[in-house]
Amino acid sequence: MQQLVQNLLAVGLHHYLILAVVLFGIGTFGVFMRRNALTTLMSIELILNGGNLTLLAFARSHQDMRGQALALLVIAVAAAEAAIGLAIVVGVFRNRHNTNIDELNLLRY
Amino acid sequence: MTENFPLSLIILLPLLGAVLNLLLGRRLGNTFVSLVACSAVAGAALVATKAVLLVASDLPMRGALVDQLVSGDWIVAGDFKLQAGLTLDRLSSVMVMVVTWIALLIHIYATGYMEHEPDYARFFGYLNLFTGAMLILVLGDSLPVTFVGWEGVGLASYLLIGFWYHEDKNATAGRKAFIVNRIGDFGFLIGICLLFTVVGTVKYADFSSIAAKLMTPWWMGWPVGYWIAILLFVGCAGKSAQIPLYVWLPDAMAGPTPVSALIHAATMVTAGVYVVARCHTIFDTFPEAAKMTVAGIGALTALMAATIGIVQRDFKKVLAYSTVSQLGFMFVGVGTGAYAAGVFHLMTHAFFKAGLFLGAGSVMHAMGGEGDIVKMGGLGKHMPITRWTFFVYCLAIAGIVPFAGFFSKDAILAGAFAAEFRMAGNMAPWQASLVALYPKLLWGMLATAALCTAFYMWRLYFVVFTGEFRGTKEQESHLHESPSSMTLPLVVLAVGSVLAGLIGVPAIMTHGLPESAEHLFTFFTSWLSPAMVPASPEPHEHWLEWALMGGALTISAVGIGLAALLYRGGISQRAEGLKKSLGVLHGLLWNKYYVDEIYDVLLVRPLRRVSGLLWKVVDNIVIDGGLTKVGPFFVDIFGAMAQRFQNGDVQRYIIAVMVGTAGILFGSTYYLAYQGIQGELKIDKRTVTLKLGDVRMRPGQLIYAIDWDGDGKFDETNVRFNSELKHEYGNAGEFKIVVEARDPVWNMVKRSDDWFFGANTPLSAKVE
Amino acid sequence: MIAVAASDFASFDLASLLASAAPASVQEVAASSLSPTGWTPAWAFWILSALVVIGAISTIAQRNLISAVMSLVATFFGLAGLYATLSAHFLAAIQVLVYAGAIMVLFVFVIMVLNRDEAERVSDRGLLDKAVGAGALVYLAVRLGEVIASPVGPMSRMSKPPADFGTVSKIGEYFFTEFLFPFEAISILLIIAVIGAVVVARTVVSRTTTGYELPNLAEHAGEGGQGGADAAGGDAAHGGH
Repeated sequence: MQQLVQNLLAVGLHHYLILAVVLFGIGTFGVFMRRNALTTLMSIELILNGGNLTLLAFARSHQDMRGQALALLVIAVAAAEAAIGLAIVVGVFRNRHNTNIDELNLLRY
Repeated sequence: MTENFPLSLIILLPLLGAVLNLLLGRRLGNTFVSLVACSAVAGAALVATKAVLLVASDLPMRGALVDQLVSGDWIVAGDFKLQAGLTLDRLSSVMVMVVTWIALLIHIYATGYMEHEPDYARFFGYLNLFTGAMLILVLGDSLPVTFVGWEGVGLASYLLIGFWYHEDKNATAGRKAFIVNRIGDFGFLIGICLLFTVVGTVKYADFSSIAAKLMTPWWMGWPVGYWIAILLFVGCAGKSAQIPLYVWLPDAMAGPTPVSALIHAATMVTAGVYVVARCHTIFDTFPEAAKMTVAGIGALTALMAATIGIVQRDFKKVLAYSTVSQLGFMFVGVGTGAYAAGVFHLMTHAFFKAGLFLGAGSVMHAMGGEGDIVKMGGLGKHMPITRWTFFVYCLAIAGIVPFAGFFSKDAILAGAFAAEFRMAGNMAPWQASLVALYPKLLWGMLATAALCTAFYMWRLYFVVFTGEFRGTKEQESHLHESPSSMTLPLVVLAVGSVLAGLIGVPAIMTHGLPESAEHLFTFFTSWLSPAMVPASPEPHEHWLEWALMGGALTISAVGIGLAALLYRGGISQRAEGLKKSLGVLHGLLWNKYYVDEIYDVLLVRPLRRVSGLLWKVVDNIVIDGGLTKVGPFFVDIFGAMAQRFQNGDVQRYIIAVMVGTAGILFGSTYYLAYQGIQGELKIDKRTVTLKLGDVRMRPGQLIYAIDWDGDGKFDETNVRFNSELKHEYGNAGEFKIVVEARDPVWNMVKRSDDWFFGANTPLSAKVE
Repeated sequence: MIAVAASDFASFDLASLLASAAPASVQEVAASSLSPTGWTPAWAFWILSALVVIGAISTIAQRNLISAVMSLVATFFGLAGLYATLSAHFLAAIQVLVYAGAIMVLFVFVIMVLNRDEAERVSDRGLLDKAVGAGALVYLAVRLGEVIASPVGPMSRMSKPPADFGTVSKIGEYFFTEFLFPFEAISILLIIAVIGAVVVARTVVSRTTTGYELPNLAEHAGEGGQGGADAAGGDAAHGGH
């Protein structure tokens, strides 16, 4: 019991990393379970934020600011990805009146 | 004794010209093209002259200028290392001077001859390419480098023979030249390989010390040097148009006339003679059967081609057979050991034969491309410069003193007469007498060939330039002297044809002259002195030498006289009558001894038939019918399997990524723990040593728990990885051992008594 | 006195919580809890991470897309707070501005344009595949968690960072020195993304011999209506419904 309390109170790097794993897992789960393209995009944002969290946690742990700089780049890439992704969703919807990604399977054999 | 000199400049200038002309020439116009082509060759000629002057003044007799063509090693294959270098010694100097300066003259001539040609840039690009390749051939310091140039000139020759490829005839002639040369080149290449295998070197500089190794007996009791020489000579026979590979050269006249002059008369076709002289150590191998072969084939070719030349009607064909015949003379020269004489004839021949071809070009230019001499006649009035220069060339090739051909041909004839072939001592008497008689036979054949040469050259001269014009009225109205860019080279070559022979006057003629004059008249003899190539054989008695000289001169005079008798002032009735009365012989000569037809029946048609069979049976039935179905069959199967994964559903793709990642994670960590429980036991009385894991594992990478007695409880826990674990049993008996390995990082646990992938051997210790 | 300041852990314990009530140390504790470089209260982490996890689950579970976006916004706010506990104040601010602000607004706009709820959240196709994927995912997460929590995994030492850790000027310094190339590359990427988004999402423009012309919009809407009449009940093209 005391061990548990100690673990709860002594928040450290591993707590952040496990949270990141959870976030990544929820995001991935969303990507392959939900059929709506918008939800998929949101899940991808969750995955990216899980990655960002590990970057920042390690940056803090190693006291290396490069992790933070990298996280900023990740945010910029995520913004670009969201913009393009949403544009594609709009384009697809305009053509097919449907954004269910499990039905968008023309890119195959 | 060598010295460095940028010889690669001589090669790179024409090659650069070729690149410029072929890539940019079409856009930049004819003026630019001719400027680039001529200045590239002129630059090469000037650098070459400078280099040759250095060789003459600064270096001792066997000295050479050297240069690297490729830095470092050129060919590396196992132990075989070869550098690509260039070398210029006294022998290659002769060739370099001939090639660069005659090429320059012909380039200048071609600017006039080809002025109406739409594909001007391509022509000069090829011509420059040829010059560069020829210079590589001549300057190469080893047989492989020479071979590069050898193939390069072959390519340029093929491209230029088929230059007007729109006509099927020309393209076919180009292919014929290429294929026949390929046969020769194959022999040449095998010769190089054999030389390297047996002797271990292919560099000319090392040739002076290989004579002993060439004596190694090899095949059919002959020394290896004989076979190398024969194989190299096969290549030379191809390139230099000797029996049996001469058939391409007459057809090669399909190319533009400057090409015929440069490639198929003055330079490329003499490459074989040059190589024989260059590799004289190999050809000199005792017994000298190789030399006998070379000389014999040379003499046979000389006679055969000369007889064919008598009856031909096409201007350039006559000259082509004349070239084949003269090349035969040169091979007799180098084959009888008169290397200097052979190379000397090569040089003088380059002057007058180039001139003859350029003269032919000038005539055909005026005739509007007509090449049949029967339709010419009386052209001397209209084109005096061409006529009189042609007159000089004809004197030179017929061998009239003091023109160039006299001295060089005399040297070859004298050499052939006086030659002695060193053969093995244990010959039967009839064999020995045959060998002794052989040089006289060669001399006889050459003398006959010389008679024919004088006859057909003067027949050509009389038929074309004297008498009445026999062509159409329209052609007659267009007759004109050629532009100065064409006549200038003719004049220069005519001067060369007069003077070139005077540097190689036989020693007996220069006795009593002032020392400086003697020095000048024997310049060539001292240039290629015995230190460079072996001395030419000479008759021992002066009277014999004079007699031979007089005989040769008489033969030439008789030939010219006969030609004048039959053709002076046009084709006489007597000539026509002679043609009728000797109908069979005429037919035989007119059809060139039916050699092309014989080759067609013996080689070409069987080859076609076999090819057709292979095409219809092997290609159509076996390959297209069977083999090509096998590949698609498997492709279909695997494709059907693979396409199931490509279902276009991105959700399944990401599931696949997840499953794959999990699989990798599981597999890699499981494998570590699995390796950790593999072990072997060593039992020494009651002490058991258990060797676990893999040598690559680090201490502490795995944590072990061990149950030594199989009671289900671990006796030792938290043992850090250590390849050897020891245990001593208290009492005897058989014990089951269970090991559990745990990866502390990934928390993968593996027990040796797992039903699934347990230890490869059940661990149990039997102690006493 | 308390030993918080010397602690290697970015943590705080009950003793320090109690001690903070003492007047003598109030100022010190307050200063250290406010200090951007000091320790982080454990409760902050737990509250924020609970917000993040619940928000994330809600994001992927909501049927209504607007609710999902709002959950995602909450998640991002929680993450911004977590970033702040990691001394990444600038990143926290950017997280709120870019994610919770710009990107989420974009999502909301797109949802407004599409204006549809899902008929079914999870397709019944390939359920077995999805189960296998979920299993693999859980396996991966558990194994990773084990490694992280294991004694040889990343230890929870978080020593006190230097005073300028996480400041804007420090990040700027990196971007103009070591990260100059990625920085410039990302600017190009953003331009490409902007142009790409415009090209992909704009109304269809047909090419005529005279150049580019806007198509007849009414005609185009008619085409769209024919093409997707069965699938698009609440489609904008069927504004008449």
